[in-house]
Amino acid sequence: MGESLLSKKNQKIVKNGLWDTNPVTFQVLGICSALAVTTQVKTAIVLSIGLTVVTAFSNVVISLIRNFIPSNIRIIVQLTVVSALVITVDQILKAFAYDVSKQLSVFVGLIITNCIVMGRLEAFAMGNPPWKSFLDGLANGLGYSGVLVLIGIIREIFGAGTLLGFHVMPPAFYANGYVNNGMMLLAPGAFFLLGVIVWVQRSISGYSES
Amino acid sequence: MKQNTYTFLFATIICVISAVLLSGISEGLKEKQKLNEELDVKKNILKAVQLQEPVDSKMKAAEVLNVYETKIEELVIDETGEIVEGKKISDIQAQAFYPLYVYKEGDQIMAYAFPIVGQGLWSTLYGYMALEADVTTVRGVTFYKHGETPGLGGEIEKEWFQNNFKGKTIWSTQENKLTPIAVLKGKVSEMYKDDPEGGKHYVDGITAATLTGNGVTDLIDQSVRHYEPYFSKQRKI
Repeated sequence: MGESLLSKKNQKIVKNGLWDTNPVTFQVLGICSALAVTTQVKTAIVLSIGLTVVTAFSNVVISLIRNFIPSNIRIIVQLTVVSALVITVDQILKAFAYDVSKQLSVFVGLIITNCIVMGRLEAFAMGNPPWKSFLDGLANGLGYSGVLVLIGIIREIFGAGTLLGFHVMPPAFYANGYVNNGMMLLAPGAFFLLGVIVWVQRSISGYSES
Repeated sequence: MKQNTYTFLFATIICVISAVLLSGISEGLKEKQKLNEELDVKKNILKAVQLQEPVDSKMKAAEVLNVYETKIEELVIDETGEIVEGKKISDIQAQAFYPLYVYKEGDQIMAYAFPIVGQGLWSTLYGYMALEADVTTVRGVTFYKHGETPGLGGEIEKEWFQNNFKGKTIWSTQENKLTPIAVLKGKVSEMYKDDPEGGKHYVDGITAATLTGNGVTDLIDQSVRHYEPYFSKQRKI
């Protein structure tokens, strides 16, 4: 051991996932689901929690057995662990949040193929101890969640005039000819937003592709 | 060789552990999921019959069940359209019996609802169709379970598609025969511009989901025909 649970190094891992190498804006992963489930904040939050849980715990499990995994079948082993966790999340949602699970439809299942999960397993969990891997998974999951929820908030407010189902646009706006922007509810709206978010995040963090 | 044995052993162990865990979870949550599904079905029946006071989406499960029990009468009919006394919907196993849900306000029959089930493009679609008391006009349609592509065939679960069906008729007064509703490839307002009577048997299709639409057409046709013997006795034309 010899290293405290929240040492400088570990803090760096968290900061990397959340900001410096944010999975969506820096690594540009998980875009498909970022577009698909962000028409409402509620579904964005639920999928974010799902993905964060899956990434964090699959990182831990893989990290625990990393020294025993035969390297020629490591992807299969990773997939098995991820699938098991995703099915668990799906089953729990069906039991305790049936309506949300219906809205998310295939997207919970598709967490399996979300590049962030596999990416973290390959890039981090295969070579680091469990606690660090847990932090890494958690931070990357939350980094993804932050972007998702942000897009969800903007899309729901401007697309439907609501936030978490409650009306937030003042009726006076509508009386004066304001209309909800239908494009926000469609995929292109999310694409534009995502582009802007990537741009803003990268100019603050000072990252450039070259 | 030793390497291979280890690889197989490791893979087997991982698979067995995952399988055991998953079956445990699935078994443990089964009851709760089943209740959710039943509740969802009842909500959909209530939605299809268009209650005078619609069920609020924030209503608790117990309240929804209460509304269901006071407003909906469950019947079982057979192939000849006779009501089978003393049989419950949960008892139905053979193909020859069909469940029918009657929505009543007091003693007044408001609507008849029945399940519409059949193949879409990738999956079986489950839904309900409700007819007005005249047994010809559609009061509402819902689809609550399917595995179609979200955004394409998955649009069948959206309000705009389901609202299309309202006010359409399954009986052609011109030809005096059963004409269940078909999903067009295109828009009714354009294709039946000069024939509003004919347009009453069609609804707008979903762009890029023609095959799901064809499935919907077929499954409505089949389902309606099962109930026609009963409906024809109620219909006064």
